[in-house]
Amino acid sequence: MENVIEMKKAHRLLARMDYELGKVDKGYTNRTLYINLSDNTIKSKPVTEQMKEIFIGGRGFGLWYLWNAITEKTKWNDPENEIIISTGPIGGITQYPGAGKSLVVTLSPTTGSVIDSNVGGYFGPLLKFAGWDALEIQGKAEKDVIIYIDGNNGYVTIEEAPLEAVDSHLAAEQFTAMYADSEEDKRNVAVVSAGRGAENTLIGMLNFSFFDVKRGVPRLKQAGRGGVGTVFRDKKIKALVVKYTGVKGDTNGPADKQKIINAALKIHKEIHDLDKVQNRMREVGTAHLTEIMNDYDLLPVMNFQYGSHPDAVKLSSDIFKEKYFTQGLPDGCWYGCSMACAKAVDNFELKTGPYKGQKVCVDAAEYETIAGIGANCGIFDPEYVVEANFYCDTYGLDSISTGTLMAFIMECYERGIINKEITGGLELKFGNKEAALELIHQMGNGYGFGKIAGQGVRRMKKIFVEEYGADPDFINDIGMEVKGLECSQYVSKESLAQQGGYAMANKGPQHDEAWLIFMDMVNKQIPTFEDKAQALFYFPLFRTWFGLNGLCKLPWNDIEPADNGLTDEPAKVPEHVRNYVDIFNGVTGKNITEEELILQSERVYNFQRIFNLRMGYGTRKYDIPPYRFLGPVTKEEYESRMERYDNQLKELGYEIEGKTVEEKIRMLREYREDQYQKLCDAVYKRRGWTQDGVPTLETVKRLGIDFPDVVELISKYQ
Amino acid sequence: MIKVNKEDMEYQEGMTIEDVLRRKKYTFRMITVIVNGKVVPKDQYATYRIKDGDNVDVLHIMSGG
Amino acid sequence: MKIVKTKPELCNGCGACMTACSKTRYKVEDPEKSAIRIIEKAEKPGSFDIFVCNHCGECLPVCNTEALYQAKNGAIRIDDKKCVGCYICVGFCPNNAMYVHPDINEPIKCIACGACTRVCPTGAIYMEEK
Repeated sequence: MENVIEMKKAHRLLARMDYELGKVDKGYTNRTLYINLSDNTIKSKPVTEQMKEIFIGGRGFGLWYLWNAITEKTKWNDPENEIIISTGPIGGITQYPGAGKSLVVTLSPTTGSVIDSNVGGYFGPLLKFAGWDALEIQGKAEKDVIIYIDGNNGYVTIEEAPLEAVDSHLAAEQFTAMYADSEEDKRNVAVVSAGRGAENTLIGMLNFSFFDVKRGVPRLKQAGRGGVGTVFRDKKIKALVVKYTGVKGDTNGPADKQKIINAALKIHKEIHDLDKVQNRMREVGTAHLTEIMNDYDLLPVMNFQYGSHPDAVKLSSDIFKEKYFTQGLPDGCWYGCSMACAKAVDNFELKTGPYKGQKVCVDAAEYETIAGIGANCGIFDPEYVVEANFYCDTYGLDSISTGTLMAFIMECYERGIINKEITGGLELKFGNKEAALELIHQMGNGYGFGKIAGQGVRRMKKIFVEEYGADPDFINDIGMEVKGLECSQYVSKESLAQQGGYAMANKGPQHDEAWLIFMDMVNKQIPTFEDKAQALFYFPLFRTWFGLNGLCKLPWNDIEPADNGLTDEPAKVPEHVRNYVDIFNGVTGKNITEEELILQSERVYNFQRIFNLRMGYGTRKYDIPPYRFLGPVTKEEYESRMERYDNQLKELGYEIEGKTVEEKIRMLREYREDQYQKLCDAVYKRRGWTQDGVPTLETVKRLGIDFPDVVELISKYQ
Repeated sequence: MIKVNKEDMEYQEGMTIEDVLRRKKYTFRMITVIVNGKVVPKDQYATYRIKDGDNVDVLHIMSGG
Repeated sequence: MKIVKTKPELCNGCGACMTACSKTRYKVEDPEKSAIRIIEKAEKPGSFDIFVCNHCGECLPVCNTEALYQAKNGAIRIDDKKCVGCYICVGFCPNNAMYVHPDINEPIKCIACGACTRVCPTGAIYMEEK
C-alpha cells in the first residue's frame, strides 16, 4: 500500500510525550494514559492501590475516571465527557480463552447516562503491554486526529490525520499497514476506529481490530452499545493506534503462572472434546443460537411481536456454515481463544452502497446481528444479512440498535403510523430488504429518513408522536428500548426473570447482564420471586466481573464440562467459576474466593447504579420497560400464543369465557405489570436497595464505596 | 401422563427421552436430563424408556450472548 | 522423515529418554522439560505408557500465530519467535504429546532429533520412517 506513505506524510504532529516503558506486574502497569484533545495534553496518571482494590480494572476503572471527570449536568457531546478504554488485570493473558476484552466507558448519546460496552480485538491487551492499564480521553479536537502509542519505543503522539478513511474496514487496513514495519509486523498493531455512520447517528459504535495472519487482513470486533462511536467521532478521533511487539505467555506478569496453565489446559481440552457436541462455537460461533431461539419461541420476529417464524431456517447456522463462513481457520479475537467464535465471510462481493462491486472480508454474522437486522425486520435472507452486517460495521453503526430501531420503524410503517411521505419514499415494510439496506446507507451517510432513524427508538417515539400524531401509549408499548438503549435480540415476554434482567440492567436492555430465560421459562428452576431475585442478584454480578477483568463471557457457559449437569448448580458452571478464581489469583497473586469474586462485582455494579442516579436516572421508574417486554400488546401477538395466554388467565382464576381478545389482553396486562412490580420489590430487597431502587447507605458502607459524594447523593433518596 | 419440566405431557407406550425432547422441541444441546431425580447419560437418550408417571426434568444450561 | 516410534512393552521406565531430551532441548536434566513422557500404568505397575509426538499435523490449523509449521524434513515444529504460549495446541493434541512448563513460553514438543532414542537401553523407542 504505497498510498499510506502519502497519508502518513500528511499527518501534522500536535503533541508528543515520551515515556519510560513499563513492565506489567501481576496484571497491572499501575498507570493510566490521560489525553486531552482540546489542549493536546498527554500525561501519565498513577493507578492507585485503592482503584485496584475497589474497581479492579476494565469497566470499573472507566466508571471511576468518568465519575471524576464530569458533573451531573454533563452531556455526551460536552468536551469534559470522556472515553475510557481499559482491559483489566487478567486481560492479555494468552493461555485462557476469551482473555483479551476491552471495556469502553463514556456518557451515552442515547441514554444520557453512563454506558459500558465490551469488545474483543487486540487493543486493550497491547495498550497494557505498551505500559498503560487504561486510556482516558477527554476534550475535543478541532480537526480529525489519531492517537498513536508506540509500546516498544515509548512515545505517544496526537497527530492530525486528514487523508485516511473514516470507514472502519479501510481505516483498520490503512493504519495497520502504516504502522507495521513489515507484513509479519502487522499482528503487533491494533486500531480502534468508527465510521461515517458514527458521525451521522447517535448509535455509533467502535471497531477494534486484530490482524488475522492466515487471512492476511485486519478483522473487526465491535464495541456496539450505547453510541460510544458517536462520542468518538464527536471528539474528532479518526483512530487510536497502538503498537507492541513481543507478546509472550508471561507478558502480563502473572504472579503464579502454573495456576493459569492448569485452568487453561483443562478448558482447551474441554473445548477440543466437547464443543462439537455442544454449541459448535468453533464451527459457527454464536450463529447457532438463531435456530435454538426460533425453536424455543424466543427469536424476535417483526419487532418482537413473535418468537419464531417458519422462514427462520433460512438464517440457520448450517446455511451460514455451508455458504459463507470459512472453516478451519483460528477465529479467536485474542491469543489463546480456543472457543474461536469470531467467524468471517471471505471474498464477499458487495451489491450496494459506496463499496458496491468490491470483494471484502466480513466479520459476520453473529446471532445478535442475524436476529436483529434479519428476523426482527422480517427478513430471512442470509445474503442480505452479510451485506447489512458489513455496512453496519464499516459505517460504525451498532447492529443491535440498528436491528431494533429498524424493526420499530417497520411496525410503525405497517400500522400506518408513518408512511412513504415521511420515509422519503422508502417502503419500510417487514421483509423489504432493499428498503432496509437503503435505510442503513441513509443512516450511514446522514441523509433522508436515515437522519431520523439514526437517533434511535426513544427519540423516534417522540418525533412520531409530536410530528406525525402517533398514539403515545401505543408507541411507548412497542418501542423496544429502556433507559434510551435499544433492546438486544431475545423475546422476554414469557420470562419474568429476563424482563428484570433486561429492564433493570444498568446500561439498558442488554443481555450481557443476565440471560435467565432457560432457567426461568424452560427449566422452571426459579419459580418464586425470591428465587428470581437471587438469580438477578448473582448472575448480573457474576457477569459484571468479566468486564472488570478483560474477560469474555462465552467460555464461561457456552462450553460446559462433561459432568456439569451432575453438579449442585449447573447454571453457574461451578468448575469454570473455580477456573476464574484460579486465574485471577494466578495473575494478581491475591487469594480471593468465589464469594469475594461476587463482592468485587457488587462494588462496581452498585457504583454504576449510583452513577445513573447522579445523571438524573437510577430509580425505579427507569427500570420499567415498555409493555411488549412483558406481554402481548396487539391482537395478533395474543393470537399467536392464544393457548398459552388463555391457559395462564384461566389458571389465575380470570373468567375468560366470551371475552374478546382485547379484554383478555387487558387482563393479562394487569396481571403481568403487577408481577413485574413485585419482581422489582424482591430484587431491590435482595440487592440491598430501597424500594425506589437506590442502594441503601448500609449497602454502600458494606461495599466500601461510601465516598463522601456518593453518600451525599444517595442520602437524598433514603 | 408424565411431567416434563413441571408440565403435563401425554404418556405414550415405549417413548424414549429422545421422543420427549422432540415433542417439546428441545433442540438445545447443552442439556441434562433427570428422570425421577436421576441423571440419564446422554448416550442413553435414544434408548432410555420413560414410564408412565415419570417426572422428567430437562435442564438447559444458560447460553445466550 | 524419521520420527520416534515406540514399543511400550519393552520400556523399563528408566527415564533416560526424558533426561536426554531436556538436556538436548533446554540444557537441563529435568523430565518436566522433556518432550517425551514415560508414565507408569496405574492399573499395571511395572508397565509404562510412552507419549511422544507422531507429527500428525493436527495442531497446525489451530495455531493463531502460524508459529506451528511443517519443517522441510516433515517434522512439525514451533517457531519460538512467533509463539505466544497460548497452549491451544497442547489441549488440542490428539495424542496428548505436547507439554507445558511455567518457565518456558512455548509448548514443549518433539522435534524428531532422535536424542532420546540413542540413550534408550531397551529399544522401546527408536527412529523410523513416519
